[in-house]
Amino acid sequence: MAFLQRLGRFPASFVLPAVLVLAAIVAFPTVYLLYLSLRHWVIIEPLRYFDGVGNFARVLRSPDFWNSARVTFLYIVSTSMATLVLGMGLALSLNRTFFLRGVVRALVVLPLLIPPIVSGFAWKFLLNREIGVLGSYLLPAIGVKASLLADPHLALFSVVIADMWSRTSFMFLILIAALQSIPAELYEAARIDGASVLQEFRHVTLPLLVPAIVIGLIFRSIEAVNTFDLIYVMTQGGPGTATMTLSIYGWKVAFTSFDIGRGAAIAVMMLIATVVGTTALIRRIRR
Amino acid sequence: MRTTVRRIVLMLAVALTGLAMAQTEIRVISFSQGFAFPDLFGTSGTEKTDILKQFEQANDIKVAIEWGDEASVRQKVLTDLISGGGRYDVILLGSDGAVQTYGYAGFLEPLESYLATGDYDQYIDMNDVFPSIKEANTVDGHLYGLSYYAFGPGIIYRTDLFQKYGVEVPTTIPELETALQQLKDGLAKDGITDVYPLTMRGAPGEEPTLDLAGFVYAMVGYPAWFEGGAVTPDQIRESKAKPIFTGDFKPGFAEFVKLAREYGPPGIATHTWVDMMNIYSQGKAAVLLPSAINGYAALTSTENTTVLDNSDFAPIVVGPTGKPVESFWSFSFGINKASKHKADAMKVLAFLTGERSLQEFANRTQWPSVPFESVMKSQVLVDKWGAEEVALNAEAMANANPKYFPYIPELSDFMDRIGTAASKAISTGDVDGALNDLQAWALQRMQLAGYYK
Repeated sequence: MAFLQRLGRFPASFVLPAVLVLAAIVAFPTVYLLYLSLRHWVIIEPLRYFDGVGNFARVLRSPDFWNSARVTFLYIVSTSMATLVLGMGLALSLNRTFFLRGVVRALVVLPLLIPPIVSGFAWKFLLNREIGVLGSYLLPAIGVKASLLADPHLALFSVVIADMWSRTSFMFLILIAALQSIPAELYEAARIDGASVLQEFRHVTLPLLVPAIVIGLIFRSIEAVNTFDLIYVMTQGGPGTATMTLSIYGWKVAFTSFDIGRGAAIAVMMLIATVVGTTALIRRIRR
Repeated sequence: MRTTVRRIVLMLAVALTGLAMAQTEIRVISFSQGFAFPDLFGTSGTEKTDILKQFEQANDIKVAIEWGDEASVRQKVLTDLISGGGRYDVILLGSDGAVQTYGYAGFLEPLESYLATGDYDQYIDMNDVFPSIKEANTVDGHLYGLSYYAFGPGIIYRTDLFQKYGVEVPTTIPELETALQQLKDGLAKDGITDVYPLTMRGAPGEEPTLDLAGFVYAMVGYPAWFEGGAVTPDQIRESKAKPIFTGDFKPGFAEFVKLAREYGPPGIATHTWVDMMNIYSQGKAAVLLPSAINGYAALTSTENTTVLDNSDFAPIVVGPTGKPVESFWSFSFGINKASKHKADAMKVLAFLTGERSLQEFANRTQWPSVPFESVMKSQVLVDKWGAEEVALNAEAMANANPKYFPYIPELSDFMDRIGTAASKAISTGDVDGALNDLQAWALQRMQLAGYYK
């Protein structure tokens, strides 16, 4: 009893076990990744040694890295913005009472339940120019003759479409929850002041949705940075390197080139970029 | 008290006896769940058939198999090999990089000394294995892999379309171009826009490299990746042979890209073997080459009677040098050097890849893509395809030169890079740009690996 009383004077001691477990689970792999990124470790070479920032320097000198960084940036921006706009549209449309509302909402959320690898397969075959329903029948019927997946200018657009289909419902869920928390009195007051629907949206809805939008964008950006399966299944990063994001590039470096150190360096750089990006967005909420 | 002690001693004795009698567990890792070894693990891949149970009982071995998709299996194998933990005893390899990389790195157990003992003859007769298959799995003089199934080059084509448009079966690359052009013109004249003269694979990654390296080999008569046709690390080091992707490699690469662009389907730059198989099986292509196995996969899975009734096999075309357009792959397994039960692992490996197993494969798939000559010429395949076609397939396998590309530790990297360059060239039409990038990368890659010190 006395021991517990003594312990009670140090609240941190209660938290310590959880901190240690979390440190082992979360921190260790991250620290190990950092350790690997500082080592020259190509599995087909006998020598393994501390290489300082050598792996980072090699990555930064590689045109492939910059191509993948560019593709990743475009992918993040386009998927995040597209899912935001679509999710917002859906949330605004479905944030009212109507017949079969529950069913419609469930249908909207359905794609979120489908694993990205399955979505990837579905879209690969839908957009297939030779045998796909969309790619070989519907799109040519409206004048789109090109193969969306195999055209270097359209392939990224194809994977963005698949991502939008798969992940818009996530943004919808966040936004509709936020919309439902906006007090109805604010809209009543706006209407009494003579605000139009657009003015209501501009001056009431949007400002109150900003925190939810930022949170949604943070999650979507993190998810987009890490997207691997959907793109790999649909295009394998191609044609050529047209859809080669950093996650696919890093995977290839580690598991095709067998350069574990350089693969780890790419992962560390992705981690840093994600942390910096999300921190900036979080600061935006705090303001 | 005494009784309690006796009970404890008795329990310990039983437990220890049990431990001593416990079967050795051999862990196998593979992809193609339900497709590979269904005679042993059922079509679900998770059950054990009587054949496997009998093998386990006879040898006091427990066989545990782990499945996954190909990419994740390869990651698990690599992780296990570099950790040296020996989690998996029998591992998935493949003659397009894994055998070479892991063999040179010393991660694999050489198999020749085991096979020389004769202890595994009841499962596998190595004299019955096509020499090309053994050669494909041999690195630096050591046999590291035994093949489950394998394929050589060939053409699968639509006889009805050839007949309709008066096309002769090609035997050379120029004749192939002529045939494809005739098909293209004929289809266009008939207003058929959804059937393409040719299907091949052009997705980024290693897959197209297996085929386009065959075109390179056929066009110049040697594996023109490095100066002087160097194919081993020693040869490259000794002569400081530089990459020649903008040199002798180019004609074959350009030919592959040209055929893909002019006669292939619009999406070919992202097509894998699955796509080429689907396109042929749905009657959307007149010719499938050079990986004939994908044609057989199409023919044994399609319900399209036009395709089924009007398809035939022809030997692959040759280049100006008389060398064939190679396409050769062996789905092989090897033994992890870190395995703690190598002799038992060898027994399992021989059992999994022996004639019995492959005869089951042939009975089920009916693909003439097996590493044993006896199985290739077995009644089930002769009944399905006819003696002549089976003989042609056997010939393609027997005459194949699996070393139509270099056997170097960096092969996986090169395979991936070359395939990606092909995908890029097919989608953009810029052969020179793709090859210039490839040449620059290859030179840097080999310098980094210390070949030119």
